[in-house]
Formats: sequence, C-alpha cells, structure tokens
Amino acid sequence: MTLALAVIVVVLVYLAFAVPASWFPSSPVKQWGVRDLALPRGTGSVANSELVITGMDASGQVYVAITTDLRARDYATILWNVRNLPADAEVHFLWRSDYAPKKVFSVPVAVEAGRLLPVVLANDAGWLGHVTGIGLSIRGTMVQPFGVAGATAKPSGALGTLADRAREWLAFEPWRGTSINSIAGGDDLQPLPLPLLLAVAIALAGATLLLRRRFRPASRTLDVAAAIAIMFAVSWLVLDARWTWNLVRQAQATIAQYGGKDWRGKHLAAEDGALFDFVEKARAAMPQTPVRVFVGSEADYFRERAAYHLYPHNVYAEPRQNTLPPSNLVKPGDWMLVFQRRNVQFNPTTGELRWDGGAPVSAQLKLRGDGAALFLIQ
Amino acid sequence: MDILGLVSGLLLLWAFGIACLAALPRRNAWVDTPGAIPWTIGTGGLVGLFLATLWLRALSLAGIHFSVVAIALPLLIVTLALGAWVARREGVTRASLRRCVRDASSAFTGSALDSTSRILWRLLLLWLAVRFALLAVEIATRPLFPWDSWTQWATKARVWYELGRIVPFERTDAWFAANGAAYFDAGPNYPGTVGLMQVLASNFLGRWDDTLMNAPFWMLAVAFAFAVYGALRAMDFSPMWALTGTWLVASLPLANAHVALAGYADLPLAIYFAVAVLAALRWLQSREPADAAVALLLVVACPLLKIPGRIWALLVAPALIVGLLPRLGPRIVGAGYGLAVLGLLLLAQTNPVIMGYHLHIDFAPDWEALANSFFLNDNWHLLWYGAIVAAILGRRHLLAPRIAPLTVVIGGGVIFLSIVLLFTNARNWLSDQSTVNRAALHLAPLVAIWMLVTFRAWAQSLADVVPAATVDVPPELPPPALPPDLPPAAPAAP
Repeated sequence: MTLALAVIVVVLVYLAFAVPASWFPSSPVKQWGVRDLALPRGTGSVANSELVITGMDASGQVYVAITTDLRARDYATILWNVRNLPADAEVHFLWRSDYAPKKVFSVPVAVEAGRLLPVVLANDAGWLGHVTGIGLSIRGTMVQPFGVAGATAKPSGALGTLADRAREWLAFEPWRGTSINSIAGGDDLQPLPLPLLLAVAIALAGATLLLRRRFRPASRTLDVAAAIAIMFAVSWLVLDARWTWNLVRQAQATIAQYGGKDWRGKHLAAEDGALFDFVEKARAAMPQTPVRVFVGSEADYFRERAAYHLYPHNVYAEPRQNTLPPSNLVKPGDWMLVFQRRNVQFNPTTGELRWDGGAPVSAQLKLRGDGAALFLIQ
Repeated sequence: MDILGLVSGLLLLWAFGIACLAALPRRNAWVDTPGAIPWTIGTGGLVGLFLATLWLRALSLAGIHFSVVAIALPLLIVTLALGAWVARREGVTRASLRRCVRDASSAFTGSALDSTSRILWRLLLLWLAVRFALLAVEIATRPLFPWDSWTQWATKARVWYELGRIVPFERTDAWFAANGAAYFDAGPNYPGTVGLMQVLASNFLGRWDDTLMNAPFWMLAVAFAFAVYGALRAMDFSPMWALTGTWLVASLPLANAHVALAGYADLPLAIYFAVAVLAALRWLQSREPADAAVALLLVVACPLLKIPGRIWALLVAPALIVGLLPRLGPRIVGAGYGLAVLGLLLLAQTNPVIMGYHLHIDFAPDWEALANSFFLNDNWHLLWYGAIVAAILGRRHLLAPRIAPLTVVIGGGVIFLSIVLLFTNARNWLSDQSTVNRAALHLAPLVAIWMLVTFRAWAQSLADVVPAATVDVPPELPPPALPPDLPPAAPAAP
C-alpha cells in the first residue's frame, strides 16, 4: 500500500514536470503516415511503409514536409518517426502557420540512438495559430540510408504521457548485436525508465516508514525492514514480469525465424544467409583437409563472418581492418575468399590476381558469386 | 538421438562433478548442513564441466583424438566408482536413499512451509522454471549470435572439435611464421576453456552445431541457481528467503542475455568466481577440506575462462585474510587495497599496459553512460540501487565477522572495476556500453548475495533495538556473545 502510494506520488511529481500544457486536453492524437510525406529536397523512395532517404541535395540537406491542419494550442508535442539517423546529424523541426504565413519557424531536434526525441512546442513563441505545414530539415554526413515513417502530433496530457511511458516500457526489445552488452528495458528512448521510477518510489516509501518509526513511538513495532524487503521484491517482480514478457515475445520471434530448421537451414535464415550460402559453396570447392585461407571484405561483419564459416580451414581475416596481406606473404596452395571487397582484380586471361595495387600473383578462380569470389593461389 | 547424446553427456558431467564433490574427505556429515544437497548439486555441475575441460586438455596432450568414448567412458567409470565408494563410506542403503529422495522432494515442493509461504514458494519455483525454459528455447533454436562469440571464442571450439585436438592460436606474425601449424582469430591469446565446453557439447552431439553446442551455458546457469540457493541456506536464510535470493540472482537480465545469446566467457567467469568465493566463505565457517578444495578448483578456473579472471581469482585472498584474521584482516586488506591503488596511480603517470589495458591517468568518466548502465537501463533490475541502500543501511555491519569477507571481495571488485573503467582505455568502451556491463557482470551475482546478507544484518539490528516491552522475552537467557575477534568454534570431533 505504501509502495503504491509512493508510486502515485512519484508519477504525479513526474507529470508536473513532464506535461507541457493542459493535463486533460480534449484533442485527439493526429498522425501522418508515409503517404503524407513529401521530399522537396534530397533523394529517396518509399519502401516497407517508410520513406527511405538515400541522398542529400546539392547543398547537403534533406527536407521532408507534411501539409497539416491543426490548431497549435491543442498540440504540445510533435514526434517524428525516424530511424537510423547518423548521430552527428543536424536536425531542425520547421513549421508554418496562419499566424505569420510568410515566416518559417524552426527549432533544433536532438538525435539519440538514431532517432529523434519528441519536439515539445507548447511554450514556443512561434507555436501559435493554425499550423499549415510541418517539416524536418536534416544536414550531416550521409553514412547510411535512414527512414522516415511519419509524424504524430500529441496533446501530451497526463494520460497521454503516461500511456507513452507505458508503451515505452512494454515495447518489444528484440535481440540485437548489442544485447550482449546492454538491455534497455523496452524502448531505446525512455524519458522515465521503469527501474528509476520504482527505485525512487521504494526510497520514498522506505524513508517514510523509517521516519514514522523514529518519530512515532506507537509505530515502533512496525517491521520496517520486512516492509522495505517486500517492496523491493515486489518492484523487482514488476521489472522481471516485463522482462519475462519480452523473453516470451523473443522466443516466439526466434522460433518463427529458426524453428524446425536444421543447422544449415538456420544459418541460411540468419542475417548473413547469403554469405553463408556462398561460403558453403566455397567449402565444397576447397579440399577436405584444412588449408590456409585469406578473407577480404569491406565490412568487418562480413569479413569475420566469412572467416567463422570457413573454419576449420586455417583462416586469416584481419579483425578490425579492411586489409589483405601483402602478396609476398601469400604462397601457392593458399586460398583467398573475397566478399564485397573493392580493389581486387583478377585477369582470367593471364590468371593473375592482384589486390590493393600490390604485385600480382598467379591464381585460379575457383568460384564466383554475387560480389564474391574464391581463388586458389598458384 | 543426437540431442539425447548431448543431454546424456552433460548429465554425465554433472553427475561426475557431484560424485567428485561427494567423495572429498569430510569431518562432518555433509548432508547435515542446511542447503548441502542443492549446494552439492549446483557446485557439482560447475566442477564436472570444468574438470571435463581439463580432461580434454590431458587427452590432447597425450595425443588422443577427442571422441565420445575417449571423453565419456573414463568419466563414467570414475563417476560410478566414486559413487559406489561414497555410498559405502556413507553407509547408504535403499531405505536411506528413499528417505533422502523423500526429504528432497518435500523440500522441493515446500510442503514443510505454512500455506502462504508454500504458495509463494511454488509460484517462485514456477517463475524460475519459466525463465529457464525461455532461455532453453533460445539455446536450442538460435545459432551463435553475438559478435565476439564467433570472432574469438567459438572459432577455437570449431577447430578443436573438427581436428579432435587442441591446436594453438597465434597472433599475426606467429601465424605467418607457423606456416599452417597455428591458427588465427580475433583473440588468439584468449583462454580456451569456453571453447572446450563447446567441444564437449559438440562431441556429445556427434556433430558441429553452433546452436546446441551452447547447452553447457544453460547447464551452468541452472547449476548456479542450485549453488546460490544452497549457499544462502548455509548462511541461515530461511528456505523462502533463500529461494527469493536465488530468484534475484537468476533473473538479472544481462545474465539471462548471456545465457540466451551464449558464447561469451563473461557469464561462466561470473558463475565460477561467485561460487569460488561462496565456497571460500563456507570453508571459513566449516573448515572442511572439501569446501577448500572446491574453492581452490573454481579459483583456478577463473583465469582459464577469461584474462580478467586472474584479478578476480586474486580477490578470493582478501576474503580469506579477513576471515582468518578477524581483527587484523580488514586493516591488512584495507592497506593492501590502498597500496594497490596508489601503485596503479603511480604507474599511471606513464602509460603501462596491464593485461591489454592501457593504464593512464586521464580521469574523465562518462557519468551519463555509467548511470545508464547501472541505474536507468534494465540490465540489472534494481540490483545496484539495492546494493547502495543496503550498504548505507547496513554500514555498521559491513565488517562484522560473517560479512566482512564478502565485503572485502565486493570492495576489491568495485575498486578493480573503477580502475579499469575510469582510468584505462576501457573507458572508451563505457560510452558505447560495449564493456561496462559485461565487466560488472563478473561481480553482479556476488553483489546480489552481499546485498541480502548486509540487509539482513541491518534488519536484525533494527529488531534488536525495539523497546524491551514490545519484545517477546525468551524463557532462557541467551548465550553470552563471543567477542567479535574470536575465530568460529572448532567443529566437533567425528
């Protein structure tokens, strides 16, 4: 009971800071999907329900726009659904309104974990009148394509804010390459992480009990330690229930991807299935007994994965650099597997293989795939 | 059929470990200690798996090709022989065995508990069973996934399994010089025990399968849960609280991730280190040679699992010093830690490289990343909050005779992690969260146990200061308290 009260107090205090305008607004949430997006600047195309931006314009800018029809005072927050943004991207949220039709207002937007943080506009001097258009201006280095799926305008009242937090806590967090290092506990971006909320609530409740015990002699028989222990265990249980639910959904996803498949089938269904398929063909073209193999690929991931699939051959792949050994270290009888690797040239007429501008070596092309090849050095 | 082979093989290793533990000489009947059976079951799993990797090393040294027969047959014979010998030594009869099974079953179902506790007990057991079942789904279904597992750990397993022997992995220059006699991967200097565990599973399975070969990780996690429960019971926690403590340890999300996405050495190191310390603590209480032997063996396992295991293994020594010298020990250890920190800080005036870490004074910690790791992300549920609160509340008891050995291990571990994460190049891996949590995982299970022990000490002290009028006065006078510096009473002669 004390813990529940403490949670309510902490949540109310949080809402006092987090709700930017009215606690109980009447306007509904407004959403714009990929069909509402325009791309006046930059290049991209629609795929999988999102606008995939693949290039900037000549001035190094991308501009995504939406025509809107909303009353500014009814909507305190705009959230853009963007993923894969580079961390150093310079992003601005822009809007136009009938309050000053000739003026374009702009506020910077923070990028975190490849996504955009919500833009809170309730107290912005320019967020007035009828908003007729919103947009995103993005500048920065285009390392990889990024996707814009749409935007949402939220009144951000108390219930809406709580619903957003609950959605973040319960968001499915699938296994990723980084899961071995860190578990977010739901969505990557959480203004109020659940462990923090529960810890503050326990602290508040525990401190209340201890103070009561100290200053009210009548309550000295109260077993404060047991109460704190139980509150701690219950809070842990809440977190663990969330985690268990995530594990259940993950088990379903894992079974959907790999269930019922043999070892080979699982690898073909994995993220590097195409590479595995090529390496399997390469292994069939190579001797049964282990031989020395050099592996080259632009991407660390493919280089190391190819090496892994090639064992127990005696594989050499630079773990952290896209380099192949100089040709004088390569001997006849060695093999070389390249996958999506530039600067490797093979002349079938002369049977010469060279890489990175080095001296050519005599080689035989044993297998060719899509952006991949296997050579036997002679 | 192959899965049957895998399960049978791992159960054999587990039984082998239990038989080895049961056969160790003892001065007192081991089953009389609270939690002795789960402790032996849990520790037996760890011991059996580790000894089997040593057996693989011996086979390779002797030039014997790895095979099910070469691996399993000797272990089976030893297990049966030790089992028979222990049965004779302990005077085991069918009736006593039946009674033992009945007692274990009764303890397992919680039938001795009152009705509320029994319901909670069963719910908690069910919760743990669901957790391990979900982790088993991942272990049985997902191919090797996280980065280092296939760049530097399972690489060795694949080669050693396919070649049927251990061959060396070397750095670049040595690899070129070896002319095909040595292998190369992203971590050629890393210890091979994790790879050998996967070799064992692959041999039992009869084929290379980088999904099922990770079954030993699951086995270790389950065995660890048993060991933690047994250790907490031996520390006089009630069955319900011991099971709650086990749940706290077994439900740490990052530890779960290291089972589901098995292949890194961090979780095995955390488990072996934690149980090594717990075995050392048991020995401090019991002075049983068996507990000392377990502690020693598991300490030896730490550096063979991962390079930082060398430091973790050393941290068992302060626990022993404090346990053996209750009066002087804390001062000696405190001075030792102080000197070690001072020495490292002096060394850090230059730029030395210790175990691959560049140590240099450049104190610029990423506090935000630290907060995310320990308090905001759900890597640890509420572990670090709880540990800090327990340390504050129980500050007067941290150096009490029964807690001090564990306190100095935790203190040493925190100092070690702080130096690594704040003063070395590992700091760079703090911001991207790539190392900080895995490094903390080595210590986290022990922190959970220490939190429970410290909190209990505070809770007991709180109960002691309740005004006399509100306390039920026992009819007999309590025994006089021993001065805190006296060693524990010697065990009764057999």
